[in-house]
Amino acid sequence: MNFIENRQKILVIIPAYNEEESVVKVVLEVKTHLPHGDILVVNDGSMDLTSEKALAAGATVLDLPFNLGIGGAMQAGYKYALEKGYDIAIQVDGDGQHDPKEIPKLIRVLEEREVDMAIGSRFIGDSEFKSSMMRRMGISIFSKVISLILRQRITDPTSGFRAANQKAIRLFAFDYPQDYPEPEALVLLHQCGLKIAEVPVKMSERFAGGSSITTIRSIYYMVKVLLAIFVDFFKKRTLLE
Amino acid sequence: MFIKIQLIIGALSIVLLFITFELIRKERLREEYSILWLFTGAATLIFSLWPNFFLSKFITQVTGVYYLSSVVLIAFFFLLLIVFYFSIVISKLTDRNKELAQRHALLELEFNEFKRRYSPPESYQKRGLTIGK
Repeated sequence: MNFIENRQKILVIIPAYNEEESVVKVVLEVKTHLPHGDILVVNDGSMDLTSEKALAAGATVLDLPFNLGIGGAMQAGYKYALEKGYDIAIQVDGDGQHDPKEIPKLIRVLEEREVDMAIGSRFIGDSEFKSSMMRRMGISIFSKVISLILRQRITDPTSGFRAANQKAIRLFAFDYPQDYPEPEALVLLHQCGLKIAEVPVKMSERFAGGSSITTIRSIYYMVKVLLAIFVDFFKKRTLLE
Repeated sequence: MFIKIQLIIGALSIVLLFITFELIRKERLREEYSILWLFTGAATLIFSLWPNFFLSKFITQVTGVYYLSSVVLIAFFFLLLIVFYFSIVISKLTDRNKELAQRHALLELEFNEFKRRYSPPESYQKRGLTIGK
């Protein structure tokens, strides 16, 4: 495979908050499917043994002193990737819903289609994904809005299963959205002129824990993200050179 | 009769909306606070431009208050300004706090790496030997 010959430095970033039950399994699976990649578990101020278990499983662990939320945790991961000079960074959720088997596919797309970020999508190809009505509806609204802004079809803007190249790593190390960052990050990429492609992937049920988005919160989530995307249009972006 | 106060409050709410928007644009205000202020601005605008709005009638009925004395009004706007300023400061602090937490974590990781690499093996420490001296 191309990326092995090139000797690219690859980092898998796994943000985890109170996920001691699934994090070991995720780390071990990533190791099996991507033996030459490094693994960074970003422990977002967990109260359980997430950090210790991830360390025992052989990952490098970045311990945040307190809970920053998924956006702050991911950005810390990207900062690490930038400082250590990684060529590719891959986001995988710590709850085990992303199948590490698909990582090479993401990397391949990143290189062959010459994009800056590859997103694993549940909704293209043969993947059948079951989830609640509310969530499906929310995702479809985001998908329409984001597709409109980017002038490119994005089927799964909330997917946190992504691969980023050096350009995207640099951008995210300096600026990454906060509370529910996935859809907003796409707008950010677009505004800075970076390219995005989607890849069909299978996602499984979570090993443990619920989604960070409950039904009650989903409306707040929707309003907040849509407003943030709207506001992003007017923000001054310091473009990176 | 209330046309003057209506205009003043209307103008103030427009100014409030504009300032909020400017601050968001310059990234001086975090979103969770900006939503609150945008709603506040929109609400005061609606109440001032549209006095027969069903909510204002409801409030009048419940409280029996038909107009606010100017003192209360001035005090209210000063409080509004102060609270507004606080949200700006908190926004800035939250961002700095986040940066600090991330830097702290990255440095700690680096530090542990060095410690592991350069500290003498345990067998040496047990025998009271030091390296480098």
